[in-house]
Amino acid sequence: MKPISIRFSGFGGQGIILSAVVLGDALVIHRGLYAAQTQSYGSEARGGQCQSELMVSEEPILTPIRASNDILVSMFQTSLDSYIGFLRRDGTLFVDSGLVADLSRVPPETTRHAVPATEIALALGNKMAANMVMLGYFAGVTKMLNLEQLDRALGENVRKEFLDLNKKAIRTGFDLSTGKNKEIAEEKAEEKAERKTEGRGR
Amino acid sequence: MGQEGAAKEKAAKENRVLTGVHFMQGNYAVVEGALAAGCNFFAGYPITPANEISEGMSKRLPAVGGVFLQGEDELCSINAVAGASLAGAKAMTATASAGYDYFQEGLEYGVAVEAPMVIVDVQRCRGENFATQADIMQVHWGPAGDHEMVVLAPSSVQELFDFTVRAFNLAEEYRTPVIVLSETTIALMRERLVIPEEDKIPVVNRRWTSKTPETYLPFEAEEWGVPDFAGLGRGYHTIYSINPHDEKGSIEWDPDVFQRLYTRIPAKISKHREKISTVQHYRMDDAKTALVAYGSEVRPCLDAMTMLREGGKKVGVLKLDVPWPFPEEAVSDLGKRMDLVVTVEMNTGKYAGEIERACSGRCRTGRVTKNRGLIHSPEEILEALECMGEVS
Repeated sequence: MKPISIRFSGFGGQGIILSAVVLGDALVIHRGLYAAQTQSYGSEARGGQCQSELMVSEEPILTPIRASNDILVSMFQTSLDSYIGFLRRDGTLFVDSGLVADLSRVPPETTRHAVPATEIALALGNKMAANMVMLGYFAGVTKMLNLEQLDRALGENVRKEFLDLNKKAIRTGFDLSTGKNKEIAEEKAEEKAERKTEGRGR
Repeated sequence: MGQEGAAKEKAAKENRVLTGVHFMQGNYAVVEGALAAGCNFFAGYPITPANEISEGMSKRLPAVGGVFLQGEDELCSINAVAGASLAGAKAMTATASAGYDYFQEGLEYGVAVEAPMVIVDVQRCRGENFATQADIMQVHWGPAGDHEMVVLAPSSVQELFDFTVRAFNLAEEYRTPVIVLSETTIALMRERLVIPEEDKIPVVNRRWTSKTPETYLPFEAEEWGVPDFAGLGRGYHTIYSINPHDEKGSIEWDPDVFQRLYTRIPAKISKHREKISTVQHYRMDDAKTALVAYGSEVRPCLDAMTMLREGGKKVGVLKLDVPWPFPEEAVSDLGKRMDLVVTVEMNTGKYAGEIERACSGRCRTGRVTKNRGLIHSPEEILEALECMGEVS
């Protein structure tokens, strides 16, 4: 395996750094690999730009950041615009399709995955779980981890009361990437939309 | 001790060393290193990017029977650490560059009264959490007065753990403040960390005097030696004064007496320099060009070395684990053996002057320096070397 550089990006409050931490934790502790996670964020608690880089390798990692990334995950339009220039032209891009609409700056050679992460998380009951829907999808596509490894890493990094929700979110994203529950996810989104309409009616 | 007390003590013992593989942030690795070394007192005042150390200590220390104090400022913190140490505790504080400024008086005191203390400085650019190594001279020369400072510069999360343990051990062995010179780069980075079994971690404890209060002289030691310790509150009635003092601890203005003191205190460190200031050699056997670095900058140097070796260049890396006391012998040796010695550091070029002095004109020297809030990339090092002309 060649060393891989992954960048997670979005805005503060979306759990961008947690995604990188859970992924790094799972790779280091449950797959025996080396990983180095770095981060930067605005001084605002929520709303500022936020990004985290994760280097993964079979060997100890020296320089912890690279001039270009192999994979970019963007959970918001501004973050895509900021970091697409650092993604290798033939790299892989994951975007939250509900929050990233304009892909005109993405080079044609780039492999793209549009994931309705926030929409699915809303259907699951909490939009805060969008990061984990994306992480599950990411794991399914890259085959870097299986669900059990991710679940174990989640347990070490997420507060107990949110564990079930996050596990469900990861599973839904994972299954979506393998085509297993495309319909289920869509149904859930529809159900949620219906419930919302009903609620308003009352 | 009641049953509850015994259970508490057992839990405290079990919680102290978190043996195993972790994916941990650098600042938390410092906390775990301190606990593994036996730290039982921490005082600190908040500042990024060092806050996780205080936060981690506030959770972990009370759980293992230690004391956590949030000082009202840095002065309180450093002086509380000195006081705790003189009472016999293994004490630590942590801050970042701007906060480190305030520590100087407490450090001067710690040196003068020979108090073992561990101080973590997570270097940051002025006012922001950008990476830098700009405090490299201050951590030695910050406090007034004649002194030798012991400064450890870890390069990774693993070394933040290992070197924090070592910092406590050196502080105890030489009865002196020891600085762990951290950096934003590694302090906020998460990496693989392996914490060994408790009995595999070497721990040095205070050397208590066996003498009675009547015969004990608190500052008596061999020529370059370290006095035995008695501590506050145990009937020994020692004055721990920053002023010149004699072996009894009495303030003494006789030049002969205080010269004796001010010779021994720096010498107990400088005379043991080769043992304290360890270095690591990477592919130095046949090297003609040496990259010299400390802290996080060692990492891109090793990458650059591999790239240059692939192109047939005989390049090695000298990693300085302990920039202070200056590893005179190891660097001076480069001057004899190398064609070119290049210092790589994340500041405007400070420690490079020391390296060049020790090479004393016997080989070509160069500097790769920048202070832009980011670690060098291996490519930047290669480009800089190209500008220096022929690299064999």
